Amino acid sequence: MTEKIAELLHELSVRPFSEHAAFSLTNYTFWLIIAVVLLLVFVVVASRKARLVPSGVGNIAEAAVDFVRNGVCVDIMGPEGKKCFPFIGTMFFFVLFNNLLGNIPPALPGTGTVGTTFTWAIVVFLVYNGIGIKKIGFFRYIKALVPSGTPVFLAPLIFVIELISHFLRPFTLGVRLFANMYAGHIMLGVFTVFMALALEHFTATSAIVLPLSFLMSVILRAFEVFVAVLQAYIFTILTAVYINGAIHAEH
Amino acid sequence: MQSLGAALAFGLGGIGAAIGLSIVGAKTIESMARQPEMAGRLQTTMFIALGMIEAIGLLGFVLAFVLNA
Repeated sequence: MTEKIAELLHELSVRPFSEHAAFSLTNYTFWLIIAVVLLLVFVVVASRKARLVPSGVGNIAEAAVDFVRNGVCVDIMGPEGKKCFPFIGTMFFFVLFNNLLGNIPPALPGTGTVGTTFTWAIVVFLVYNGIGIKKIGFFRYIKALVPSGTPVFLAPLIFVIELISHFLRPFTLGVRLFANMYAGHIMLGVFTVFMALALEHFTATSAIVLPLSFLMSVILRAFEVFVAVLQAYIFTILTAVYINGAIHAEH
Repeated sequence: MQSLGAALAFGLGGIGAAIGLSIVGAKTIESMARQPEMAGRLQTTMFIALGMIEAIGLLGFVLAFVLNA
């Protein structure tokens, strides 16, 4: 039991893709590159025959782009949100494709490692603070951390709390996506380990454990597909909320 | 001992997150039933709150791995 779980954790840990890899290609970055190539193919195929009334792949792409632009950007940031669409859209499709590819068995999700998610989270942190500073200037942006109307003696305390909450944002953003992907795959793996163990020493209990584990892993696989889409959505919507906070910092 | 600490970190963190998530879910359903025309905006706000609460539970998960490593 314990060695099988350890094997599972080793399988999911970040390690070199092959012993002969001359550069730092890990098992996760390998699948990340595959996901990005698939995304590129998807976008090229979808936009090759752009028409007024799209069909097939173009339809899916158009619905997804419309969802991100109107459902996330414009809904949260108002008309100004359209300017942020290239960044938010890129991020949404990158995360979505990586999450979804992780659900095809030999593949691992590129977002299932801290390297990828924290890089995106730090980029988001720099972008939203950059937008805020560019819009109203550095000192006014810092001043806007404390909402107007705060009593003077409370202002330093509020300022420190706000500062901490701002620096925690990239951390929670990165941890959320990583932990969701990683935990989901561990759960799937644990039920597969149960199935393997039940087959190895076939007893009366195995007859119950085996079908239940199988059913559970099928249900969890479906749930993982849902989580993959949901986490991509939450990642983008939180980015949109942070950028909105920076744009409207003085209100 | 370390494993126990890891299990407690995840378990107790999970309790807090679960209570928070259930309150958010229940209140959103309640509000949607009262004002169905607001359903879209309520859903967006719910997902934002959900994402933030979830992070707390998952911090426990990560901490469990850190303690166990």
